[in-house]
Amino acid sequence: MMRRAVAVLVVLACAAGVAAYQATRPGRAAANPHVFVPSPKFFLDFSPNFRTSIADVYYLDMIQYYGEHLRGGHLQSLPAMVDLVTTLSPHFKRAYIFGAFALTDVGRPDLSVKLLERGFAANPDDFAFPAYLGYFSYQYGTGSKQANDAAAARWYQRAASIPGSPPYLLRLAAVLAGKGGQQVKAIDMWGQVYAGGDKYARQKAVDGLDRILPTDKLARMKALTPLQSTLSPKDFEALIAELFKGYLQ
Amino acid sequence: MAQNGQGTGSGAATGAQSRPAVSVSDLHKTVAVGFLRRKVAILNGVDLVVNQNEVFGLLGPNGAGKTTTVKVALGLMRPSSGSIELGVEGLGRVGYLPENPYFYDYLSGREFLGFCARLFGDDAATQHERVEALLEEVSLVDAADTHLRKYSKGMLQRIGIAQALINDPELVLLDEPMTGLDPVGRVEVKRIIERLHERGKTVLFNSHILSDVHELCSRIAIMCKGRVIWTGSVDEALAEAETLEDFFMQVVQA
Amino acid sequence: MRQVRAIAINTFKETIRDRVLAVIVIFALVMIVGGLWLGSISLGEQGRMMKDFGLATVTGFGLIVAVFIAAGLVHKEVEKRTIFVIFSKPVSRSAFIAGKFLGLCGTMAVVLAGMGLFLFALVGILDGHVSGMVLLAVLMVYVQLLAIMAVTIFFSTLGSAILASVLGICVFIAGQLSQNVLSLTRLGKNPLTEALSWVIYTIVPNLSAVDVKAGVVGEQTLAWGQIGLWTVYLLAYVVVVLALAALVFRRKEF
Repeated sequence: MMRRAVAVLVVLACAAGVAAYQATRPGRAAANPHVFVPSPKFFLDFSPNFRTSIADVYYLDMIQYYGEHLRGGHLQSLPAMVDLVTTLSPHFKRAYIFGAFALTDVGRPDLSVKLLERGFAANPDDFAFPAYLGYFSYQYGTGSKQANDAAAARWYQRAASIPGSPPYLLRLAAVLAGKGGQQVKAIDMWGQVYAGGDKYARQKAVDGLDRILPTDKLARMKALTPLQSTLSPKDFEALIAELFKGYLQ
Repeated sequence: MAQNGQGTGSGAATGAQSRPAVSVSDLHKTVAVGFLRRKVAILNGVDLVVNQNEVFGLLGPNGAGKTTTVKVALGLMRPSSGSIELGVEGLGRVGYLPENPYFYDYLSGREFLGFCARLFGDDAATQHERVEALLEEVSLVDAADTHLRKYSKGMLQRIGIAQALINDPELVLLDEPMTGLDPVGRVEVKRIIERLHERGKTVLFNSHILSDVHELCSRIAIMCKGRVIWTGSVDEALAEAETLEDFFMQVVQA
Repeated sequence: MRQVRAIAINTFKETIRDRVLAVIVIFALVMIVGGLWLGSISLGEQGRMMKDFGLATVTGFGLIVAVFIAAGLVHKEVEKRTIFVIFSKPVSRSAFIAGKFLGLCGTMAVVLAGMGLFLFALVGILDGHVSGMVLLAVLMVYVQLLAIMAVTIFFSTLGSAILASVLGICVFIAGQLSQNVLSLTRLGKNPLTEALSWVIYTIVPNLSAVDVKAGVVGEQTLAWGQIGLWTVYLLAYVVVVLALAALVFRRKEF
């Protein structure tokens, strides 16, 4: 009888100990901002079959790492992680996009651009890459505002030329070209928008052109002349009609 | 069909009638036991002849080598030297009931016998016929669809005999066939053995139950320490002692 | 052939009861909880995470089940002495090995089909459209596991079941690293290590020749010719290994 009681007490004490130990573990230990990130080369040599799985693991890890250290601002290992994930999984679009934006938080938009360029090289049929590159040129370009806008316009135009891209990209390109001091290009692009667009797009084209065209009637006409060869006669006439509304004929 | 220690079997043609059912000649078997692969001699020169249509009893204390001799006969083990020849054309004509048998417990009695029949290459019609006939013979028709897991020891023994006879063998080797059977079961098995004898089959069985041996066997052999130390007819044995037990003790202690 | 079929069906019945359905259910639960959780922290990449994690889990579970059942197949029969019932009949050692393997193939097909279909459905729900590639990937995992099952059965004929299962898993890992072994053969530093590497490279099944996972998540376009060739290679590998196992088994005594 005594023995049994002692045995039960021992077991209960152990159970209590187990629970107590777990309950008294210190709360989240401060995570180390310096994470060891293996070089991509290691994994590229290592196991071809598990490349994408490893990329996925590091992708999730990267997101967690970013979330944890963003506030403190210590994101030193981020560029290495982004590099690793995208090297192991070159078609992993979201990794590039996330990485590009995350890198701006590390103060390295130049790396973002390089990353996106790599992504575009690996995925030339994806318009998202040049579109984001356009945004980054616009937002984080290193030259004057006008130069940035011009560069952005070039990227957006490239994006627009990829089959399957949404129509607004060309409009964006045209606006930025105009702002970037590339008037001729802008006019040409607006012309394309007009030629290929629906009623909404055409209205946008007209507004866009109206904004950048000279107000002098002759100058306006001269500027519009190149469009005669790219637009159908019907379209060209309609466009002229819109742009010269209110101008005495 | 022969098992030889060296080279291929002789295959010499002798008249089917006069050829013994089992012929063992100077059979030796050594095994390597344990982690250190110690050599242990199990059979030390067994000489034995079982004639056609005999009911033969193989007796001996535990560890004498009875089961091993039967295993070498079946090809489950290879002789280290010496030879053993069966007077039938292959395992297709042999039936075997191992000691303390264990069968697939997820199968029913009927399924198990069907499986055994298929191993002999029988076609579906023959299989079915044989299975039903044998279930009848060992009185397991009612339990035929119960899983073997649920069988009592006696029932397992009976299904074991059934699988030993499923191919209508010429030579039947039974290792301790009466173990675990109640008196009714034992009578049934004895009747089965008698019927086999009547139909011209040869039966060899190991047993410790000397009264059964007395009842059923025409000839016996007594093995001890891997050798046959006495062989002869039951009558000869009883000429030298009161009962078979006494004779057995006499011989073994010599 | 009928014998092989009988043994295969018997093995299937035996192994499918091995709590196999439970494995599929546990797998399903792990997938739902684990896969969805990973998806939730992946910024919208639920489909990809589920495919990747899912295939890795199918491979892992499949490997464990296959290896442990394969390692025990031969052993269980020897230990439980049901093997006497089989080899006291005219059944060749090769037929036994072949039948055991084929029975296990059937069980593994059920297991992988169960897991594969569940994953297929789950991915379909997450992605909004079904992807036949997932089923193809599971099929390729099955073919890889066939090679590992054969290897494990071979090891089990040599000795202990535990050793066989550990070696089976090791061979699987080595197979995944086949490409690396190949690069070792080209280092050109030491003719001995080169020769050794070549031997290992040929003996270990190449399980990394085609990356089906990458194809499924959209990283690679798969060359059907390559996949076909790889499958034929693995099937040929199975044949060779099973032949070796039968050879070893022929020398075994019970």
